[in-house]
Amino acid sequence: MTELIVNGAAEQGLTGWLVVAGTPVALRYDTGQGYPGPADPGPPQRGSSFFGGGGTPLSTLRQSVTLPRRSSQFAVSAWLGGYASQQDGARLSVEFLDAGGTPRGLVVLGPVTAEERSGRTGLLERSATGTVPPGSRTAVVTLQMTRSGGGTSNDGYADNISFTVGGR
Amino acid sequence: MLNRRDLLRAAAAAGALGTVWPLSAGLSPAEAHAAALDLGASWDAAPFCLGVGSGDPLPDSVVLWTRLAPEPLAFEQPLPEIVEVEWSVATDRTMRSRVAGGTVAASVLLGHSVHVPVHGLRPGRTYYYQFSALGKRSRVGRTRTAPVGPVPKVRFATANCQAFHDGFYAAHRGIAAENLDFVVHLGDYIYEHGQVGGAHVRDHEGPAVLSLADYRRRHALYKGDPSLRDAHAAHPFYLTWDDHEVVNDYSGTEGSAPFVKRRAAAYQAWYEHLPIRSGSALEPQIHRRRQWGSLLDLTVLDLRQFRSAQNLADGTILGASQKQWLLDGISGAREAWQVWINSIMLSQLARQGGGYYFTDQWDGFLAERREVLGHVASSGLKDLVVLTGDWHSAFVDDIRPDFDDLSSPVIGTEFTAHSVTSGAYSPEWNAVNGPVMGAANPHLKYFEGNRYGYDVYEVTPERFTTHMKVIGDRRDAASPVSTLTTFHVDRGKAGSYEDLGTVGSAAQYRRA
Repeated sequence: MTELIVNGAAEQGLTGWLVVAGTPVALRYDTGQGYPGPADPGPPQRGSSFFGGGGTPLSTLRQSVTLPRRSSQFAVSAWLGGYASQQDGARLSVEFLDAGGTPRGLVVLGPVTAEERSGRTGLLERSATGTVPPGSRTAVVTLQMTRSGGGTSNDGYADNISFTVGGR
Repeated sequence: MLNRRDLLRAAAAAGALGTVWPLSAGLSPAEAHAAALDLGASWDAAPFCLGVGSGDPLPDSVVLWTRLAPEPLAFEQPLPEIVEVEWSVATDRTMRSRVAGGTVAASVLLGHSVHVPVHGLRPGRTYYYQFSALGKRSRVGRTRTAPVGPVPKVRFATANCQAFHDGFYAAHRGIAAENLDFVVHLGDYIYEHGQVGGAHVRDHEGPAVLSLADYRRRHALYKGDPSLRDAHAAHPFYLTWDDHEVVNDYSGTEGSAPFVKRRAAAYQAWYEHLPIRSGSALEPQIHRRRQWGSLLDLTVLDLRQFRSAQNLADGTILGASQKQWLLDGISGAREAWQVWINSIMLSQLARQGGGYYFTDQWDGFLAERREVLGHVASSGLKDLVVLTGDWHSAFVDDIRPDFDDLSSPVIGTEFTAHSVTSGAYSPEWNAVNGPVMGAANPHLKYFEGNRYGYDVYEVTPERFTTHMKVIGDRRDAASPVSTLTTFHVDRGKAGSYEDLGTVGSAAQYRRA
């Protein structure tokens, strides 16, 4: 299986990601101030950084990747989360497009709700696998973080984003 | 007295229904048959149960649509992850004179839906199309490309608000039988809530829909009305949406995780079940401008995906980017009928004594409406006609840049159409409130809320004509269609007038 995402763990900041909307940021696990820390639910191998929604209600990052020829199977996974009982969230989507730009397949992970996090700050893993729809040429991988209601901080969080494809 | 459901049961028992009935898991054929009848649904033969459709005509292209769903009401379809689907386009109904064709993979990742943007077609032509998969052929659909250059006439229809439980789609039966270039759907294609019970002719299949599997099942149920499938197979559709495709009165920019999840499921299912041309099934960009030769420009608006909450000083119903696109389109508009596809009422609908009836419509976005209509006036845009749904009743309004200032000019006409089935207010409410709304809204010219149906528009370079087509009874799937009344707008002259032949027809308000 070949990893197609560059910097899926935010360890190089926003390198490799196109900012499509808002002010997404890379945050450190040692930030404190209520942000997810080393002891909160999250990836076992979490490194030092994760993605956050920054200061705008909608923050979106994207990578468009060319699918290798003869890709057959895919696997997508991400750790997605939010803050305490707030419903800010992060969603990861992979949209398979053909050469003409028509959607051939769609996978949506998350967002993880406050209930799914049991009202606790942290990130949970979400994943999917399947067959790459024949005719797909590119995959648009989009991380969208949204703020619920008012406030200033968009507390949608994400880390360890992976999208791999392999042959038969 | 024999009701509709009894008639259907009797017809089924006599073997008079030619349709192949898909079987739901765990039910015997007889039980599945009875369950589907109870829901008032029937489908085409598997796997093309949901029918076929085409959409978004361009001069050289249409999008062909189908979805494989051998068991329409099952949460999971008994299909492999990938199914090869062949499609073909011909110039004749028998599919012998084939002009295009190919194979496409229908994936479980998009509910085994198929969207084929066919290119290389000739402008202003009628074509026929058909799919085949798993050794079966679909029905043959008919479509039409947009013309180029001078066009003497276009004839099209709008439909809106088709609550399944509120009646049978006799209006779509009428649309299917009309001689039309295209159909526009103005939204509320499905409703998201659960079963309603009571004395309705049929009902939803289950509780309120939340997940992707739920929304798919709801769309499949709605496609269980044969008249809706017939309308899609008969004509290409342009589509916008309103709120009930997701949830009542929603704002697309709401960011809470449960809503973001629900909205994504609803948008994806909407895409999967309709002939949409879009680069995304997750967040389809549906606002677009289309030309029907030199005669007419369609400006399709999306009044849900990008809107803020209502009644904010800086609120937006369009979103910043779509608003700029609309303003630019107004500035750059050519000389042609300018027709806006507008899901929810643009004109002011003030209450007597202050306030508005519904601020979910443009009345909840006052500053943006002033800006847009002010720009129409200042840029000298002519021949503006706005086509609207949502209200479950017919209105005709003069559009003014400032509805409270009767000295401001009339800059266009809004036709708000009857619903296909979704319930209107009672005849008593309409009788009392028609004149009340008329008195509080001097730009309102006509109101009729006791009927159901669709609008047909006949447009020539000289005149834009709206025929309000109404059915006799929502409880009758074959209820006949008649023309309630007709309004005209003359080219180069803002404002509408009612046809003298129907000026005496029933209405609960008519400005003298």
